[in-house]
This record gives sequence, structure tokens and C-alpha cells, in this order.
Amino acid sequence: MRSDARKFVIVASNEVFDSIRSRRALVLLALYMAGSAAATLLFISFLRNIEAQLMKSLGLPESANAGSVTRELWKSEVFRGAVAHMVRDRELAERLLSIPPLGLFYGWLAATFAPLLVLLTSSVRISEEIWTGSARFVLFRCPRLTWVLGKTAGQAVQTLAALLLGACAAWITGWIRLKAFDAGPAAWAMMLFSLKAWVYSLAFVGLAMGVSQIFASPNVATAVCFVALFGMGVVHGIAAHARNPVLREAAQGAEIVLPGGHLMDAVWHFDAPHFLSGCAFSAALGMLYLGIGYAFFSRRDM
Amino acid sequence: MKPLAGEHTPEDLGPIAQFSMNFALEFRAVRKKYGRRMALDGLDLQVPAGSVFGLVGSNGAGKTTAMAVAAGLLRISGGEVKVLGAGFFHPAEAAGRLALLPQDSRLPPHGRVAELLEYYASLQGLAPAARKKCVAQILAWTNLEDRADSRVRTLSHGMARRLAIAQAFLGEPELILLDEPLSGLDPRESARIRSMITEKRGTRTIVISSHILSDIELMCDHVAFVEKGRLVRQTTVERATGRSDVIAYLLGAGSPPVERLKTELPECAIEWEQAGRVLKVRSSNRRLSVPQINETVCRALFESGVELVEIRCGSSLERAYFEATAEAVTPRPSPPGAGARP
Repeated sequence: MRSDARKFVIVASNEVFDSIRSRRALVLLALYMAGSAAATLLFISFLRNIEAQLMKSLGLPESANAGSVTRELWKSEVFRGAVAHMVRDRELAERLLSIPPLGLFYGWLAATFAPLLVLLTSSVRISEEIWTGSARFVLFRCPRLTWVLGKTAGQAVQTLAALLLGACAAWITGWIRLKAFDAGPAAWAMMLFSLKAWVYSLAFVGLAMGVSQIFASPNVATAVCFVALFGMGVVHGIAAHARNPVLREAAQGAEIVLPGGHLMDAVWHFDAPHFLSGCAFSAALGMLYLGIGYAFFSRRDM
Repeated sequence: MKPLAGEHTPEDLGPIAQFSMNFALEFRAVRKKYGRRMALDGLDLQVPAGSVFGLVGSNGAGKTTAMAVAAGLLRISGGEVKVLGAGFFHPAEAAGRLALLPQDSRLPPHGRVAELLEYYASLQGLAPAARKKCVAQILAWTNLEDRADSRVRTLSHGMARRLAIAQAFLGEPELILLDEPLSGLDPRESARIRSMITEKRGTRTIVISSHILSDIELMCDHVAFVEKGRLVRQTTVERATGRSDVIAYLLGAGSPPVERLKTELPECAIEWEQAGRVLKVRSSNRRLSVPQINETVCRALFESGVELVEIRCGSSLERAYFEATAEAVTPRPSPPGAGARP
């Protein structure tokens, strides 16, 4: 047991270093950071445009402090009412509106793009080693389960690093471009959303590593992951918008075993019961997908 | 496990087996199917502990499959496998006691040579200090010291092969399985690795699969011929080649003193093949040692003024392999009329 735990740590740390060495993860990380910064820039210019239009329609001179009008808008009762209507929960709306706009924006960005990043980087990690045969140099030294868990943990660590670095990129962009920028609260919110998005993306890490165990071809594994992601999107769309109540209820039922069904709880809710349930479901779904993959991998001829 | 019936006797298994009857690896009627194709069709093997064991067979005979089964990488369809005295190999129970050099597998390309070996050594259970020392030794052993910091993808094919061989010897496992270890190596490195493997004889068990029978003959003390997933013959290399039974003298000009040799070596059968100019001396009862026979024959040839070109003990392993497997690899005759053209 102790030996297995030691090997788990060895495999996990090697996984992190190997991803860095392979440069694939580094490139994707750099892209994610650049994407974060670019999306933040777009968001800021969007805010500026809205502010400028508001000031113009009110016949006021344009403010030099970008973000100051948004801050005022955030405090207005009309806007708060609109947000409460959108999330259908007054308490949640109040909590969300206590967060700086840029923090909220990064929460959305992380929850939307972290699954994509995970599926791109993690889906090949095991299949590639099966494909090239390099797994054969390891699997007589390390039990298969320990190896799979170690690699999964390594991928989870990388995802967290990517989310935190993405938050840094977004925060720096905001700090440079926004004059009225709540630096401290925004940093806190971004870190919090990074952690929340990470917990949510654990389900996708499990999915990617599970698929990677089933398919020996890295390209097929990645393709299957994206098909699964598309399928999840379809189910989510049906659950949210279908007019047929039977279909909608079936999709809502299916969402229990899909990460999207727990997005609100894991990422957007802050009260303990919702948040903990979101975390537990995301992690459990990750383990479920990983376990299904392992059921194949444990019997696979290498 | 009971001794295998028919295929070979304890005597065939050589001095180590006779002494301890201790096997590092045992296969009994092992079957492995890939879809409809039977890769191992009731394979029996007994690899004596401490031996250097050669696994010989044609392409698709089941050698690589047998290696992978022994390393626990393949699940068997039937039969019994015993690795290092226990059952089917499992790394949780016996990690570090067995190592494999897989045939067509690529090492992770992005890692550096020394880092990769340290990673494998740490999984093998070596402590950090021992790991560093062991990796340094192995790199020196395989002549890769100057490439310790190179990335694996920058190595030539031969260097990558040497690195793959190196990883199999990390931590000195008790059982080392080498699948085609010398393929792709230059002659100097081949000879180097061969001599290093030979040095390990008696200290650990090494199973080598190869098509190059001269390599097997030089490195191994035991050999098994495998065809179509079955054992054809298992014996010592000495027995397979008749190394201590037949001495062949290739002669140049002059007529050999056959009658004199028959008188001086009454325990031996003397044959003179005029066409090939080969004088064969067979010692069936082994009362005389090879040096004793050589001394008598060489003196007689020298005194008769016969030119001696070469002395060879026994026949080649290649010949023994062809003889042993002739029946196994001969295609079955087609039924009468089948495939006949009108």
C-alpha cells in the first residue's frame, strides 16, 4: 500500500514534468493564457462601449475612468433585479453582484474553456503510450491502477496550474486596461473561480483519461472526447430549452451523470450545500468515467 | 508444477536445474489467442534460475507473446504461468524482480536519458542514492555516459536500443526478458552487450529471444525451439550443438592418419569426409575431454604433415534448429486434388 502510494506520487510528478517536456502542454497553456488575456481585453472594450453609449444617451461627458459606470450599474436596483430574474434566485444574484465584473467574467471563461483545454491535453496521455508501446517499459514496474491514477493526478495538477495562470493573465490585463479596477476583490474572485472551475473540470479530466484508456489511437481518443462534449451540449440544450416536457425531463435526468448538470452548483453557487454537492458530483463523475476506462484498460493486452 | 513430459529431461536442463530444480519461469500448456489466431498453443517452458536462456523460433512462432505473458502484459487464454516461484506476474507483488526489453516499443521521446532511467529506477523501488549510482553504472555499461543529458528523441536507433537494454538491467532484477536485444546494434556494441550478458550468467536469469542463432549460441547456456506457439525442443546449448560430443577438424593438404587415430582413440568414432575435407571425432561416452582428444588428434596430424585449418566443437545451433524444427515448419501436404489445375 505504501509502495503504491509512493509510485502514485512518482508517476504523477513525472506526468507533470513530461507534459512540460513534451511542450504540447506548454503550448496549450500559453494559448489558454493568451486566450484569457485576449478575452478579458474584449470584455473590457465591450464594457467601455456600453459605458460610452450610456453616457452619450444621457448627454454626459465620456468618463476617463473605464469601469466606473459599470460599478455604478452593478449597484443599481434595476440591474440587480434583472440578474435575479436571470438566475431565478435573489440571494444568489446578490452574491454574484458582490463580485467584481471581471471576476465574474473570468468565472464564466474558466468554466467554459477549462473542459476544452482538459480534453485537448489529457485525452492522449494514456492512448499515446499504448500506441507507441512506451507503457510496456512501465507496466511491469508499476500496477496499472496506480499508473492510471498517477497520470490522472498529474493532469489534474496541470489543469489547476493552467486555470490559476489564466486568472493571472486576465487580472493583469484588467489592471492595465481598467482605471476603476478593484484589484484585491478581483484577484480574490478570480482565484476562487479558478478553484471552482478546477473542481468542475475534474469530471472532464476523468472523462479524458477514461477515454484515453479505451482507445489506443490518440487521435481517436481526442475525437471521441469532443464527440462526448458535443453530446453533453446537446443534452444540456434539450434540458434547458426543449418544449416537450417528457424530452426535457429525460434530458434533465440524464444530466445527473453529466458534468454540465452540476455546473451551477460547482461554479456559481457559494452556499455550502450547493457548492459541496457540485464538488462531490464533479469529482465522483470524474472517478466514474475514469473507472469505466479502467475496466477496459485493466484487461487490455499491452 | 510437475516436470514436463516428453519434451526434455532434467539432464537436458543443465547443471543448475539438476542441482536445484529451481525455475525462474515456468509455462505449462499456455494458450494465448488473438481473435481467431492462436499465438501460443499449449506452450511449455521451464527456464532454470540463473541460466541465460535462448528462445528461438521463426517469425510469429510466439516468442514475443511468451515474453509479454511472462511480464504480465498479456492475459492468457489457458494454461499456467509461474514467474519467480509465484503465479502470474503482478508488479504490485514482485516489482523490481523482473524486467522486460520489449521488441517494438518506443521509449518516451521527450525525456532525457538519465532522467528516464531514474524514473524507471524509482518505480523499481530503488532508493535515491542507489538510483543515481545504478543509473551511472548502467550508462557506463551501455556506453551512453556522454548522452546522459540528451533527449531520447535525439538518439540514433542503435543508441535508443542500448538505452532500452539499459533499462532492463536497472536494479539487477532476478529475471530479465530481452526480446531481440541486439537488433539494430553495430558490431562493436553487439559484441559489448553480448559479453556483458554472458558475464551475468549464474547471477540472474536472462531470457533472450532472437533470430540470430549465432548470438544465442554465444550468449546462452539453454535453448528452446518454439514453432507455431508450441515447444519443439528444450535443452542445453551444449547438447543441442553436440559441442562435447563431436569435434570437427577442417583439414588442408595431406591425408589424415585415420587408422592411427582409431588405434589411439579407441573410445571415439573417427569419420573422414573426403569431399569436405572434414575429420570428425565423436566421443559418445565422454571418457575423454575435448582438450585430451585435441591433443591426440593434433599431434597425429602434425606428425603426418597434414595441414590443419580449423577446429570446431559440435555443429552450429542453426543446424540443430533446422533439424529440430524441420517437421514443425514443413507445410502439411495438400489433400489429393486440392489446388490442382484442370
